[in-house]
Amino acid sequence: MREAKSKYHFRNEVRKSLKPRVEELKFSLHRITRSPLSLIGLTLILVFATVAILAPQLAPPKRLYEPYQIPRDGYAATPQPPSTEHVFGTTEGQYDIYYGVIWGTRTAFRIGFMVVGATMLIGLFLGSLAGYYGGLVDEVIMRLVDIFMSIPTLILAMAIVTALGHSLDNVVKALIIVGWPIYARLIRGEILQIREEDYVSAARAVGCPNALIILKHILPNSVYPMLILASLDIGAVVLVAAALSFLGLGAPVGYADWGQMVSFARNWIVGPPQNPLAYWHTITIPGLFMLFFVLGWNLLGDAFRDILDPRLRRR
Amino acid sequence: MKAYIIRRLLLLFVVLFGVSILVFAILSLFSPEQRASVFITDVKQLRDLQEIIQTHHLDAPIHIQYYYWVKALLRGDLGWSITAQRPVLEAFFYFLPNTIELALFSAPLIIIIGIWLGSVSAVHQNKLIDHTTRTLAIIGWSLPTFWFGLMLLMIFYGYFRGLLPPEALSTKSNLYVQSAEFVRYTRINTLDALLNWQPWILFDALRHLILPVITLTVVQCALVMRIMRSSMLEALGRGYITTARSKGASETTVVKRHARRNALIPVVTVSGWLIAGLAGGVVITETIFSRKGLGWWWARAAVQLDIPAILCAVLFNAILFVVTNLVVDLLYAYIDPRVTLK
Amino acid sequence: MLKLIEIKDLKTNFYTYEGIVQALDGINLSMREGEILGLVGETGCGKSVTALSILRLIRPPGKIEAGEVILRLQDESSQSKDPIDLLDQTEPLMQKVRGNEVSMIFQEASEALNPVYSVNNQVSESFLLHRQKELCRDVLKKIEQDLGKATSFLRRIILKMERRIYLRMRENPSSSWLAILSFLPIVRSYKRRMVNQARIESIELLRILGIPHPEEVVRRYPHQLSGGMQQRIVIAMALACSPTLLIADEPTSNLDVTIQAQILDLLQGLREKLKTSILFITHDLGVVAEICERAAVMYAGHIVEVAPVHPLFRKPLHPYTQGLLKSVPRPGEKGRLQSIEGNVPNLIHPPPGCRFHPRCPSVMAKCSERKPALRETEQGRFVACYLHHQETEKNDT
Repeated sequence: MREAKSKYHFRNEVRKSLKPRVEELKFSLHRITRSPLSLIGLTLILVFATVAILAPQLAPPKRLYEPYQIPRDGYAATPQPPSTEHVFGTTEGQYDIYYGVIWGTRTAFRIGFMVVGATMLIGLFLGSLAGYYGGLVDEVIMRLVDIFMSIPTLILAMAIVTALGHSLDNVVKALIIVGWPIYARLIRGEILQIREEDYVSAARAVGCPNALIILKHILPNSVYPMLILASLDIGAVVLVAAALSFLGLGAPVGYADWGQMVSFARNWIVGPPQNPLAYWHTITIPGLFMLFFVLGWNLLGDAFRDILDPRLRRR
Repeated sequence: MKAYIIRRLLLLFVVLFGVSILVFAILSLFSPEQRASVFITDVKQLRDLQEIIQTHHLDAPIHIQYYYWVKALLRGDLGWSITAQRPVLEAFFYFLPNTIELALFSAPLIIIIGIWLGSVSAVHQNKLIDHTTRTLAIIGWSLPTFWFGLMLLMIFYGYFRGLLPPEALSTKSNLYVQSAEFVRYTRINTLDALLNWQPWILFDALRHLILPVITLTVVQCALVMRIMRSSMLEALGRGYITTARSKGASETTVVKRHARRNALIPVVTVSGWLIAGLAGGVVITETIFSRKGLGWWWARAAVQLDIPAILCAVLFNAILFVVTNLVVDLLYAYIDPRVTLK
Repeated sequence: MLKLIEIKDLKTNFYTYEGIVQALDGINLSMREGEILGLVGETGCGKSVTALSILRLIRPPGKIEAGEVILRLQDESSQSKDPIDLLDQTEPLMQKVRGNEVSMIFQEASEALNPVYSVNNQVSESFLLHRQKELCRDVLKKIEQDLGKATSFLRRIILKMERRIYLRMRENPSSSWLAILSFLPIVRSYKRRMVNQARIESIELLRILGIPHPEEVVRRYPHQLSGGMQQRIVIAMALACSPTLLIADEPTSNLDVTIQAQILDLLQGLREKLKTSILFITHDLGVVAEICERAAVMYAGHIVEVAPVHPLFRKPLHPYTQGLLKSVPRPGEKGRLQSIEGNVPNLIHPPPGCRFHPRCPSVMAKCSERKPALRETEQGRFVACYLHHQETEKNDT
C-alpha cells in the first residue's frame, strides 16, 4: 500500500540525489584542469571563442549589414602575400584573408552549435521515445536510423544540399538531417542498458514512479556520453561543412568561411617556378585555423571521455 | 550459417527499400521541370519539355512516380549524367577502377598501421611512444582532409618540383596506356601495368598514388589506432592475461596471442565504418588530386546539379555499407566463438 | 622435511592517485614440501597480493619494494637444488618458474580463461611452454613408427626432415634456426605434430583430474562450460607441469557448495599423488578446517598468527583470530553474532605499530609504537602480538 507522496518529497529526492553529483562535478573540474591535453583543448577553444566574440572589433566590417562578406581590395586574380595592410595577405580576387579567418571563426561556431544543438535535441527526443516505449516505435525509429546511417555523411549531405540549393543555411539543414541518428542511437542504447541495471530494478522494487526513475537514474547516467559525443561532434561537423564549402556547395564566393577560403587556394598551390611556395598563405592560414579549432574540440572531447567515464576516473 | 546469410540478404533488401524511399524523397524535392532535365541529352529537346514530363509520369501522384522510378532502376536505367555525358550506370563502371585502385592501396594500410600503432601504444601505456602516437592520432583526426591533401601537393608537387604529382598517370604514361599496345584488363592502372609487364607504368602509377593514399590513410588511421588502443588496454586488464603470465608465457606471447585476438574484436566492428569513411574521403581526395574516379564524378555532379549521378552515389554507398556490415558480422562470428549467428 | 618456500619481510606498495597503498608490510611465511597451508583473512587484507608477489606478477602501479622469496627449485630428476631468491632473478628465469615449479589458480575461473581460445589450446599451452623436450621425445617416437610404415619416397623424405627438426628442438628449443623455420608459411606446419602431442597430453590430464569425456571437453570454449568445469580447467592448466607449489587464490569462493567439495577433494588428492604443496588462500574458515594442516592469519598486510589448524581453532592466540572465530556462527549456538568492533583500516594511512590495535580489546601502549614481530610461542605456533611476547621471551631463555 503506497501512501500519497507530497510534491515536496519529489523535489527533495531530486535535490538529495544532486549533492554527490556536485561533488563528482568538482572532481571532474579538478581533473580537467590537471590534464595538460585537456587544458590545451580548453585554451584553444577559449581563444577561438574570444576571437569570435570580438570579431567586429578585430576586423571591422565594411558594410555593417553584411559582415560576413569579405571585403575586396581590387579585383586582380593573383593572391598577394602578407603585408602591413593585409596581415595575412589576400586570396584570388583580393579577398582579405585576415578578415575572412576572423569572421570565419564566427561562422564555424554558428555552424557547429546550430547543427550539434539541433541534432542533440532531435536525437535525444527520438532516441528516448525508442528506448522508453520499445516495440513498434522502437523498430520504426531504429530502421530510420539504420537507413540514414548507411550512407556516409558527406555523400548524403551532398545529395541534400544539391536538392535544396547551394547555400550555407542549406548545409546546416542537411547536416542536421544527416546528424541526428548517432545521438538517437546513443541515447536509446543508454536507456536500454540502464533499464536493465540492478539499481533501476531496485528503485522500481521500492515503488519509485517511472518519471522519477527516468529523472534520477536514467538521464544523469546517459548525459555524460552525450556530452562526450557532442564535443567530438562539433569538430566533425565543422570539418564536413568546410568540405562542402570547399566543393562549392556551401558558402557563396566571398563569404567568410574557412572551407570556402581554401577552395580559393585550389588554383594557387603551386607558385611560379622560382618561388613555388609563393601563395602558401592562401591555403595554410585558413587551414591552420580549421585544424586548431577542431583539435581543440577533439582534445576536450577526449579529455571528457577519460574524465567522465566512471571506470577510468580514479586510476 | 547459410540461413543467416540469406536472412541478412533479405534484410538488405528491406534496407535498400528504405534507402530508395529516402533517395526518392530527395528526388521529389525537385520540381517536375528539373527532373525532366534528367532525361534531356540534347539542348533541342527543351522544346518537348512538357512531353517529356508526360511520358515519364513526372506530374503523376507520388506513388506512381515511385513505381516507374523503381522500374527504371531495376532495368539498370538510372538516368543520364550530365557531368559524365553518358548513362549513369555506364559512367559508374567507367569511374570505378580508379576509385578501387585508391581504396585497394589505402584500406590495408589503414588497418595494418592502425592496429599496429594502437597495439604498441597500449602495451607501452603512458610512455613516450604512447604519448607521441596519441598526439599524432588526435592531430590526424582533426585534420581537414582537403586541406591536408592540398598542403601535401604544395610541398611535394610544388616545392619539390613535381616529385609526387596529382592525377592518376603522367601524360606520357597516359598516352601509352590508351594506345593499342597496352591491354587494359581491369582498367586499374597498377594491376594492368603488372599484367602487361610494364614496370615503368607501374612505377608511374604508384608515384601518383603516394599522396592520395597518404591523405586518405592518415585521417582514418587515427580512428583505427584509437579504437585498437582502447580495446587493447581493456583486454590487457582482464583476468586471462594474469593467467597467461602465471603460466610462464613471455610478454610477447601474452600480448600477441592473448590480448590482441580479443582486442581485435571491436576493431572489426569499426571496419564497417571505415569503409563508409573512405567513401566520403574519396570524394575529397579525388577532387584535389584530379583522379577521375567515382568521388571526382560525384563532387562535380553535386556542383552542377547532376541529379542522377548524386542519387547513384547515395544508392551505391548504401549497398556498400550494408554488404560491408554483413561481411563484418560474419568475420565477427568467426573470430569470437561466443557470438552465435541468430 | 625441507622448507620449500620461505618469504621474508615482503613489502609491496601500490602507487595510486590517492596515495601509496601499503598493501604488504613485511610478510613472513614459510612452507614445507607437501603441506597444505591456509592463508586466511578478510577481503582486502592482502592475500591475493601476497600470491602475486610470490610469482612476481605485480604490475604497475604496484611494486614489490623489499623482502625475499626463497624457493627451492627442483631439477629434472626431481632432486632439490639450492634455494634461490625469486625477487632477485631475471625475468626469463621467472618465466621458467611460473607455471612450471609454481602455479596459480584463481577465484574467477570464467575471467581466468581466454574466451576466444578453446580449452585444448589453453591447457596445451602449459605443456608447450615448459615440456618441449618431453613432447619432442614422444613426437620422435611417433615419427619412428611412421617411418617404419611409410612406403613412398617423398613421405620418407618429409619424415626424415621432421625427425631432424625435432631432434634439433629436443636439444636446443630456442635455436634461432627453428625460429626462422616457424616463420616460413608451409614449413611451419612441422609444429602440428607437437601441438597434437600436447593435445593428447591435455586430454590425459583432464582424464586424470576426473573430467568426463575429456576428448569432447577440450574442443569446447570456456563460455560453453559450467562454473565448476571452468575451475577444473583452470586447475588443469596449473597442474600440467606438476608444480611443486600450487597457489590457490580463493578457488572455491564462487562455486556451489557441492562443486566446492569436489574441488577440495581434487586438491587434497593432489597432495597425495603428486606431493604438491598448496598455499590455499581463502576467507572461509570452514574450508581451512577441512583441508589445511596449518593456517596463517592475515590482517591488513600483516601476518598475525600461524599455527596448525586444530590448535588454532581450539585456542586462538591473537585477538584478531579470536574475534574472527567468535564471529563464525556454529550450529546449535543461539544469540547474537559477535563482530569485531571498528573497520578495516585504510592502507594509505595505516595505523602505526600493530595495524589491529585500534580494534583490539586488549590493546596496550606499546601496540601503537612498533609493529610486533612474528615470534614462535610453542612448537610450531607463531604470533605477532605483545600479549604473547612475554611467553616468547621466557622461551628464549
